[in-house]
Amino acid sequence: MREEIMMIKKINIMEALVILALVFLFGVQQADAKIYGISGPTFNLRAMKGNIIADDGKSIFMWGFANASTARVRFQYPGPTLIVNQGQTVTVNLTNTLPVPVSIVFPGQNNVNAVGGVPGMLTREAPPGGSVSYTFAASEPGTYIYYSGTRPELQVEMGLLGALIVRPAAITTPAGFAGCAYNTVDSCYHREYLQLLTDIDHTIHDLVLLNKTANVDNTIAYPVYWFINGRAGLDTVAKNFAPYLPYQPYSAMARMHPGEKILVRMIGGVRDLHPHHMHGNQHYVIARDGRILKGPAGEDLSEGLFTTTVAPGQTTDALFTWTGENIGWDIYGTTSHTCNPGPDNFDPVTKEYCPNHGKPLPVGLPDQNDLTFGIFYSGSPYIGSPGALPPGEGGLNPTAGLFFMWHSHNEKELTTNNIFPGGMMTWASVEYPSVILPAE
Amino acid sequence: MNKARLIILFSLLAVLILGMAISEAAVSVQCPYTIIDDQGNTANPNVICKHITGSDGFATMADGRVLYTFGFSDVTNQLPLDQILVTAELDARIPAPLIKVKEGQEFYLTLTTLPMSMRPDLFDPHTVHWHGFPNAATVFDGEPMASIAINPNASLTYYYQVPGPGTYMYHCHVEATEHMQMGMLGTLYVTPLQDGQLLNGFTQFAYNDEDGSTGYTKDYPIQITSIDPLFHDANLNVQPLPFAAMEDTYPLINGRGYPDTINPSTTLGTSAENNFKPSQNLPSLIEAQWGDMLLLRISSLATVRFYTLISPNLPMKVVGKDAMLLRGTAGHDLYYETNSITLGGGQSADVLIDTSVIGPIAAPQRFFLYTSNLNELSNDQEDFGGMMTEIVISP
Ligand SMILES: [Cu+2]
Repeated sequence: MREEIMMIKKINIMEALVILALVFLFGVQQADAKIYGISGPTFNLRAMKGNIIADDGKSIFMWGFANASTARVRFQYPGPTLIVNQGQTVTVNLTNTLPVPVSIVFPGQNNVNAVGGVPGMLTREAPPGGSVSYTFAASEPGTYIYYSGTRPELQVEMGLLGALIVRPAAITTPAGFAGCAYNTVDSCYHREYLQLLTDIDHTIHDLVLLNKTANVDNTIAYPVYWFINGRAGLDTVAKNFAPYLPYQPYSAMARMHPGEKILVRMIGGVRDLHPHHMHGNQHYVIARDGRILKGPAGEDLSEGLFTTTVAPGQTTDALFTWTGENIGWDIYGTTSHTCNPGPDNFDPVTKEYCPNHGKPLPVGLPDQNDLTFGIFYSGSPYIGSPGALPPGEGGLNPTAGLFFMWHSHNEKELTTNNIFPGGMMTWASVEYPSVILPAE
Repeated sequence: MNKARLIILFSLLAVLILGMAISEAAVSVQCPYTIIDDQGNTANPNVICKHITGSDGFATMADGRVLYTFGFSDVTNQLPLDQILVTAELDARIPAPLIKVKEGQEFYLTLTTLPMSMRPDLFDPHTVHWHGFPNAATVFDGEPMASIAINPNASLTYYYQVPGPGTYMYHCHVEATEHMQMGMLGTLYVTPLQDGQLLNGFTQFAYNDEDGSTGYTKDYPIQITSIDPLFHDANLNVQPLPFAAMEDTYPLINGRGYPDTINPSTTLGTSAENNFKPSQNLPSLIEAQWGDMLLLRISSLATVRFYTLISPNLPMKVVGKDAMLLRGTAGHDLYYETNSITLGGGQSADVLIDTSVIGPIAAPQRFFLYTSNLNELSNDQEDFGGMMTEIVISP
């Protein structure tokens, strides 16, 4: 980078430090075992205007769906994650406080019945000040998206979208697991996380704010903001409902213990495809658009990938596990601990891969003067054992987990309106087994 | 000046000199065995030790335009180590040196960061991120926010137990959008333990398929990337970096645009700007005898968009994606035939081309492998070029 960029960067780093201080104060995400959302089967949503703050400090005018069943109805981006059970009859009542008609479509749900409002092109719409209701039977478990079916090329960009999760009804969650994605045991997980990827061209939002919607030209839309769960850059690791992000309630950080099965529900919003890359390990795509990847005889058609294409309007469910098996040295370091292998060579308590136990790091690390340290580096290669760092380095990983970036690998999208780092990036962390990750 | 102050002054001076001594001696290679060749093979056949540098440099596009780049260069087994800081100056290679390792090997990869010759105002460190490494450790993952990066004039040795076979990638992850757009990208692939067995008439394989169904005669890395010249010029000219406006106009295969892709020379990319160092060493001309089974190790490290590569007249059988054999847990093949592969940044596919599908031939036949994003068949303003190469099959 050059001087001016350095200046911008310094300001950004200052801001980042403030944010990170907040993150530190309030803790990273509480890491519930399950995705946070609102439970059905009846939802009252309100289409309303609002603002988000991107990680460059810019306030962006938005339209969004809010949960109208609370005392204080608050705009949010993305819309509330709607959680229902398979077999339920789901009703979504939408009231519209925007100056334009708004509707909701539910891709992947069959036989959606719309009542009230006025006729629209894709479905019945709530006119300004009016309302409409949608009813459907949630027949298949899985991950889905919902978004406005009225001028979607504008309204989805403006923020009128959210996630819908249908939990399976024909399976009993096995002991030790938090839930199952589908009605199959191999889809059960210890923790689940949402990764809803969106992009924004803020100039469209500026025009809408100025009531110049007629001037919006989607043929020249050019996103320069990228988000995961409505947050950009380092904001993604702040916990759910972090007070400094009042309208972007959903964390995108994924915390886990070694060996746990993590369900990652990926959803693409808006207009572009994003190659979502998970550092740490390969993941297995087990379902797309709410349909498990199995053949007619139940044969496994899942796909092992290190980068999944997240396409707009499409959902992908993947399982991720980190074990450290390939590392070749002791991931818990030189502090005294034992490894008592089970039949799979892993210690059933510490999840350590015992063939690696006691092996020292095969290389020496350079003098600290020769290194640049990351904010999520604990100062040591080992899980749960922070090392000494020069003053002012690291510091945002007090439990000494291993942090792995999950991000768009179209690296241009790791920026926020011309500033790196930002955009479509978040982190997973693999934590020492005794670090408590709260269960729901 | 009193005695105490003098002592402090001398102490400071000593610290300064010591510090300088440390920084100058910091180029170092860690390898548990003697390195016996430039490939990094050692006295122990199960241990491989490579040494690469990260520096700036220049590449020459197919239309003749010289662009400022960052890149890696292979200095394995080059001695004396101190001299590497001089000899590897401006030696950024596009793509990064091909890394080929064997499943199960222990791989020691030393990265030495050079100062930026053209940008002495920058003190950027570099890293190696082995993209797709399963069950990675952060200390060797190269993602700088969660790890360590090596500063100029110093070396960091990464340690890997080489995982399962397939086509991976590696790249610098520091200021990722910038350093990757600038060119610190390469192919890294792992050959399977099964190699050397005779299965299905082959002795080399993409994966441990146990039936020879991924066997091949010749393999080629095909890495697609692309370059925004304005970004590179801005970097050289110490201008603000246009992240938001980044639009690539030089679509490349293995660091070259057509027709440079089919130039068999391994010494392209020399210019006065880089002291005539060959910066683009990897031809992409695919040459086969009729009947050969070709394995194309296709990957993308483009930083802006998805690309579709097509082989319109020679079908491709996809046998692996993202370094995973396409096979279900119950053992059934999920291979499929196609004429097109669509990849975003950080995705790879292993495809087999059976050259005998065209029927016996009497004379060499030429086929094209190119992007069907047809606007990307250009070298910036120059039409008919870009992301394209040729497959030539001889009788
Ligand atoms: Cu770099």
